[in-house]
Amino acid sequence: MLKATIDAEIFRESIDAIAALVTECRLHTEEDMLVTRAVDTANVAMVSLELKSTAFDAYSATAGELGLDIAKMKNILGMMGRGDALTLNLLDEERKLELAFKGYKYSITLLDASTIRKDPSPPTIELPGKAVISGSALNNAIKAAAVISDKIALGIDPDAMTFYMEAEGDTDHIKLALGEDELVALNPVGARSLFSLDYLKDMGKVMAKADEVEVNLGVDHPVKFAFDIADGNGRVEYLLAPRIEAD
Amino acid sequence: MGVALRDIIADCKETLDLDALKGVAAIDAHNALYQFLSIIRQPDGTPLMNAEGQVTSHLTGILFRTANFVEKGIKPVYIFDGTPPTFKQETLDQRREVRTRAGNAWKEALAVGDIAEAYKQASASARVDAYVIETAQELLGLLGIPWVQAPSEGEAQAAHMAGKGSVQFAVSQDYDSLLFGSPVLVRNLTVSGRRRVRGRTITVSPERIVLANLLDYLGVSREELIEIALLTGTDYHPGVRGVGAKTALKLVRNGEFESTVAEKLPDFDPASIREFFLAPPVTDDYNLSWSAPDTDGVVAMLSGRFDFSPERVEGALEKLSVKAKQQTLDQWF
Repeated sequence: MLKATIDAEIFRESIDAIAALVTECRLHTEEDMLVTRAVDTANVAMVSLELKSTAFDAYSATAGELGLDIAKMKNILGMMGRGDALTLNLLDEERKLELAFKGYKYSITLLDASTIRKDPSPPTIELPGKAVISGSALNNAIKAAAVISDKIALGIDPDAMTFYMEAEGDTDHIKLALGEDELVALNPVGARSLFSLDYLKDMGKVMAKADEVEVNLGVDHPVKFAFDIADGNGRVEYLLAPRIEAD
Repeated sequence: MGVALRDIIADCKETLDLDALKGVAAIDAHNALYQFLSIIRQPDGTPLMNAEGQVTSHLTGILFRTANFVEKGIKPVYIFDGTPPTFKQETLDQRREVRTRAGNAWKEALAVGDIAEAYKQASASARVDAYVIETAQELLGLLGIPWVQAPSEGEAQAAHMAGKGSVQFAVSQDYDSLLFGSPVLVRNLTVSGRRRVRGRTITVSPERIVLANLLDYLGVSREELIEIALLTGTDYHPGVRGVGAKTALKLVRNGEFESTVAEKLPDFDPASIREFFLAPPVTDDYNLSWSAPDTDGVVAMLSGRFDFSPERVEGALEKLSVKAKQQTLDQWF
């Protein structure tokens, strides 16, 4: 069971965060929050999202699971504006989710959850390096690197006390190093891994709206990005597998 | 093959772009493999082969079609035929005979240098055998694409899964899927945009038939649609000689099915075939889960054993969104 009302903008933010990686997911309804964890089809990136009941104007739910067509949801939510109240109503028997806003009433057929990839178990990875940076600065760096390359190295230099991003194109090179003054926080443990910009560009658009993004890094390990959504009433985590550095 | 309902279905076909189709597609594996084997050939009819002479046309078809589907947002699941019903034996014997005859005609055409005729006969001689099925299933496994073993007819299993909502539509060239009750049938999906039909190359687009709309349009029930098929002929019985879909529709609408059968086919008891279409053997024991392709495994199989060019294989794998040198999260879970 799920019956809830929320500012459409907040819900759109949540769906956009998921849509950056997957076109469908299993959304779990719990008594005090909505939760999902999904990996993309190639098993390269994962998104985890929690949206607490406090993010809603009204929320009442029992434990359950629904198969959501994220691509469709994203299109529908694109029609709504900030401040519009969106009412979600799960019609269990009909396997439909009703979305009502401003006189519109969408009835969305849910996907059979058993055809959607099972939620991955939470990974246990040690990522000792940590930097906290504004989402817009992170997104700008990703966009700058994408101009010359399709991959970017993210790293922490403990001697220089910097968090850096470095990209190598066929003929060009770009590096951005941020010191403690320009970061919200830094845990100076040496780290460096290479990542695909294809994935980072989509994640970057979502992260750009976050005041602070916590970046966790290791050596040739995945990167984890964590940030708040819904004024601190929700949290998103992205995990991205690295590329192999040299030929 | 299948059932000749084309004449009365024409108005209910909706032609669409591959881009417009999303969701899980249950693909009639034998139908698709047969198409790959008959179409993917050299101009003189020789199928694609590796150095050892093993046919690889079907593997080419699976790799590139699957990559295309996934890129367009279609999640395929292949349904393989199980044991055919006993009353299909006659059709199967006939098909075997046609293949053997075509195989001989192919050799004759090659001997006299008639390339067009050679291609035509070679296509007709295509055979889905145990080797084709085993290697197809092996490749699907490596690509992370699920497949289901049907207890009997694959189309019946696909229709069952579509009816349950496990898949959004059934994919086959044959209309039988509709008789088995598939709510949606999509044709022309496993073939590429351009296809040779009777020697000419034409462009084909996917077409969708929605069972409810078809029944509504014809003004018959599914049981009556099955009766129409029984009169025109199915894989299980040749039907009444000289009765096509239009005549059969008229007869069934007028309630003359029983009397026509009694008069024209006194020895035929349609009950068992009707029952087979309405309640065929199917299974709920399937697990539809898609996983990331085993890139190394696919390259080892196709380039290592079947002489595919590694560049072409990697190109297809990239469509399945696996980039070279990109690691997956598997090793960290």
